Amino acid sequence: MPLFGKKPASKTTTVFFATDVHGSERTFRKFINAGKFYNAQVLVMGGDIIGKMAVPIIQEGPGHYRATLQGRTERFEGEEALQALRERIGTLGFYSKVLEEGEFRALAADPSRVEAMFHDLARERLESWVDLAETRLAGTGIKCYVTGGNDDYPDVLQALHRPNAEALVACEGKLIEIDGEHTMISMGFSGPTPWKTPREIPDEELGLKIEEMIAQVADPSRCVFNFHDPPVDSTLDTCPLLDWSTDPPTQIVKAGQVVLHGAGSKSVRKAIETHQPVLGLHGHIHESPGATRIGRSLCVNPGSEYGEGVLRGVLLNLAGGKVESYQLTSG
Amino acid sequence: MATAAATPEVFTRKASGLVRVMSPYSAFIYNILTMGLIFPWTYLWAPGALPGGKLVWGILLATVFEIPIAFAYVWLSTALPRSGGDYVFQSRAFGGIWGFTLLMSGFVIWILQWVALSGWLLSYLGFAPLFLGLGATTGNAALSEIGVWFTGANGIIITSIVNAFLSMLLLVSGFKNYVKVQYVMFYGILVAFATTLIVLFTTPQAEFVTRLNEFAVRSGGVQNFYQAARDAVVGAGIDLNPPFSMLATLLVAPIAWTSLQWATYSAEQNGEIKEARSFKNQVFILVGSLIVTGILLALLAMAFERAGGTEFVYIAGAGYWSLIPEASISGFNLWPNILAVALTASPLVVLLIAFGYIAGAGYWSLIPEASISGFNLWPNILAVALTASPLVVLLIAFGYILNSFQIVNNCYIGVTRIMVAMSLDRLLPEWVSKVHERLHTPVNAHLVYFLASIPVIWAYNKVGGWIGLTLGVTFACGYVFAATSLAGAVLPFRAKEVYDASPGASYKVNGLAGLVLMLIGAAAFVWTTWEFAAVFAATPILLWLVRLLGLAAAAGVFYMFRGQLGGWVRGTAMPWVTALGTAGAGVGFAMVVAFLLAPQLGVLGNWDFSNLPSSLWSQIIAFGILILSAVWYFAAKAAQKRRGINVDYAFKEIPPE
Repeated sequence: MPLFGKKPASKTTTVFFATDVHGSERTFRKFINAGKFYNAQVLVMGGDIIGKMAVPIIQEGPGHYRATLQGRTERFEGEEALQALRERIGTLGFYSKVLEEGEFRALAADPSRVEAMFHDLARERLESWVDLAETRLAGTGIKCYVTGGNDDYPDVLQALHRPNAEALVACEGKLIEIDGEHTMISMGFSGPTPWKTPREIPDEELGLKIEEMIAQVADPSRCVFNFHDPPVDSTLDTCPLLDWSTDPPTQIVKAGQVVLHGAGSKSVRKAIETHQPVLGLHGHIHESPGATRIGRSLCVNPGSEYGEGVLRGVLLNLAGGKVESYQLTSG
Repeated sequence: MATAAATPEVFTRKASGLVRVMSPYSAFIYNILTMGLIFPWTYLWAPGALPGGKLVWGILLATVFEIPIAFAYVWLSTALPRSGGDYVFQSRAFGGIWGFTLLMSGFVIWILQWVALSGWLLSYLGFAPLFLGLGATTGNAALSEIGVWFTGANGIIITSIVNAFLSMLLLVSGFKNYVKVQYVMFYGILVAFATTLIVLFTTPQAEFVTRLNEFAVRSGGVQNFYQAARDAVVGAGIDLNPPFSMLATLLVAPIAWTSLQWATYSAEQNGEIKEARSFKNQVFILVGSLIVTGILLALLAMAFERAGGTEFVYIAGAGYWSLIPEASISGFNLWPNILAVALTASPLVVLLIAFGYIAGAGYWSLIPEASISGFNLWPNILAVALTASPLVVLLIAFGYILNSFQIVNNCYIGVTRIMVAMSLDRLLPEWVSKVHERLHTPVNAHLVYFLASIPVIWAYNKVGGWIGLTLGVTFACGYVFAATSLAGAVLPFRAKEVYDASPGASYKVNGLAGLVLMLIGAAAFVWTTWEFAAVFAATPILLWLVRLLGLAAAAGVFYMFRGQLGGWVRGTAMPWVTALGTAGAGVGFAMVVAFLLAPQLGVLGNWDFSNLPSSLWSQIIAFGILILSAVWYFAAKAAQKRRGINVDYAFKEIPPE
């Protein structure tokens, strides 16, 4: 066997997979452009697409603003500076909203209004992303499949279901024909997390949902399992063990050291071990990128660096029910 | 259900998040340990090789030269806080060929030499004194024979391989296990270092010669050691009171850089450091550890010179550089910590000092009189010689063994992370990056590096002259650090969005002032190239080729900024990282060039064309490693292309628009 592996079959489908962009405008734009850039026919987004933070830009006077970003309060003036800051905030995966001082104080005092604001801002961004995908991918033949993750609000994810969309497909819960040879099923829910995120369920329930979907698949060995939660103890799910009783959750330290563990799903692992799909696409644990094999199944987690504006992904060449080659990217 | 909350002027919602395991303080300690207060090359090498050079000023100069480099790493680390540091920074700024070639050659291959070095230190300065000391204190000849075995090539090779193997086992068992040992070593070294300083600063100068002579006798050396060493050194034509030399003082800096260039090694683990994006944290980790270590090393130099006087410094240096045996005690050179041990009568002090130290005298100068019974004045040897207690001997050796062991761990930790990053980029085979499911560590990368170290360990101890390449690591790692500094300089232009989103983006300097800093770096590089090209004086074509290449390289750097130069001249703001990164790269590459062209700085600077190719073997190895790495890159790229993988995709940024 050659040092770097064997030559691929002639007819392949190139899939580009990325995940956990968490609202980052810049990384999603890169994701949409990745098809042309990498010569991929299929784009798959693995979930956790909604941002985690909103930065109020407080108007102190006509054309004068202040905002707190990465722990630093910055003051600036003019519309050009305002636009530059909003772009920077978007790159980091945050939302921004211009508010008067009084509006900000009132909003900050009412958590339910803050929650509603998040939903509105997230929906607005997701709708703009669907527009972007439809515009940029029109006529290219590139298909873009997007699923939600455990961090995403269910009501906001409805924005992905646009009836007349041609390029972008909300793929969660559907059996997708990737090409003439391979299919894909998607699951954005995860097992329980210490953060109590919007779409997490007991692991047993997750297993039942997965089995329901697999029942629709004619040949699991040629199917791609696009499951947000990685298989437990797979090296794609390594992260610190956390104390769930504190808010926010804190790391458990023993003998002065942070305890690491596999935080993935037992049900996902069982499904892969049992059905041996051609490929497992996973995310969820940003700090554990890599690739591994569970039996014949290649499982990948590209990790995430959305905060740096870097799109981490995996390019995969599929042919004849096999992954001929793959490559982790950092674009 | 998720809830949302307002923290000061920011709204956050509950969502899962990235968690990192290494605290900034741990990273700070890691850098100090990597810089190695236990690597006191400067104290004997510099006086021996560079008469007239001022130790303290040379060390402080090296610290100042490293500061802009460390700051460039601060910007890079906060913009790209990922594991694989230098490899990530360079491949993003310059492309895969540069990132791979420089890191593969400078770190992955050259650091194998340090794996061998740590084994040598462990055997020669850890186990040999242990058994010799135990043999002497218990009157057991068999133990002494075991000690002698540890000083022979076979003993060192076997010890080195076991050393590397145990380190591999420790690290694959989990990084946390290493970190536990790290804290023990850190505080042990600090205690030993402080004790050494106190002994050297408080010993009355009037008693210095007497105490040293007594120690030499107890260690099996000659009577009246100091005078015998002095006579031998003077007899060898060495001036014990040379006039001050600015050039020699400048050349002390690259030697001190052997330690101080490692201030930025934690960047390889940025992906594991908590709040690695924090500018303040990275300044503390990178610049803070540099300044603390620089000051400590300078204080030690001051104490060393104060204890025995300037004349003694040159005697000790002659033992190391000129190989005058009379100027070492039992073959051990007069390193500061050995001296401190020799000057104290307290076994406890000896223990404290030896616990944290490595030393080695007579190493460089090879004057046999400058050693005692063939051993140079390494601190632990002196400590062993001063005590009559087997328990103390055992404890001293244990501390020394721990320090030697730490070095091999550092080699593995940084290099295996880079190898994993290269494998994930498809430039090393896929199995190199495989992570063990239960241990969560890249077992294969560790195993590959262990296996690769075995032939180097053999060569280090069996091939004549190979040991002289040890500080070639400073040259090779130096070009990696300097190139990364340059990567920092171009970051705002080659990865604009990444830079703009980083916390350091708001720090700007007046363009004209920034240009001055850039010019200082360029001038340092051009001057060094011009001055030391004189090594080719007998071959004018080479002389002028090197000088012109130096000028062209400096001009090439400014050409990279051709679009901005006009604005900067008019005072347009320049990113601070561009000014500091260019200045740091200038002085960094100047020191790299010094290693390559100045014979005072080791075998790479000895250009002897009389008996090719054997007379230039070290240069052939150094450049051969670079060429081999570049060839590997193109071969791997071609192999992956046949599999439908474009390696360039690993480094190229997708345009967002």
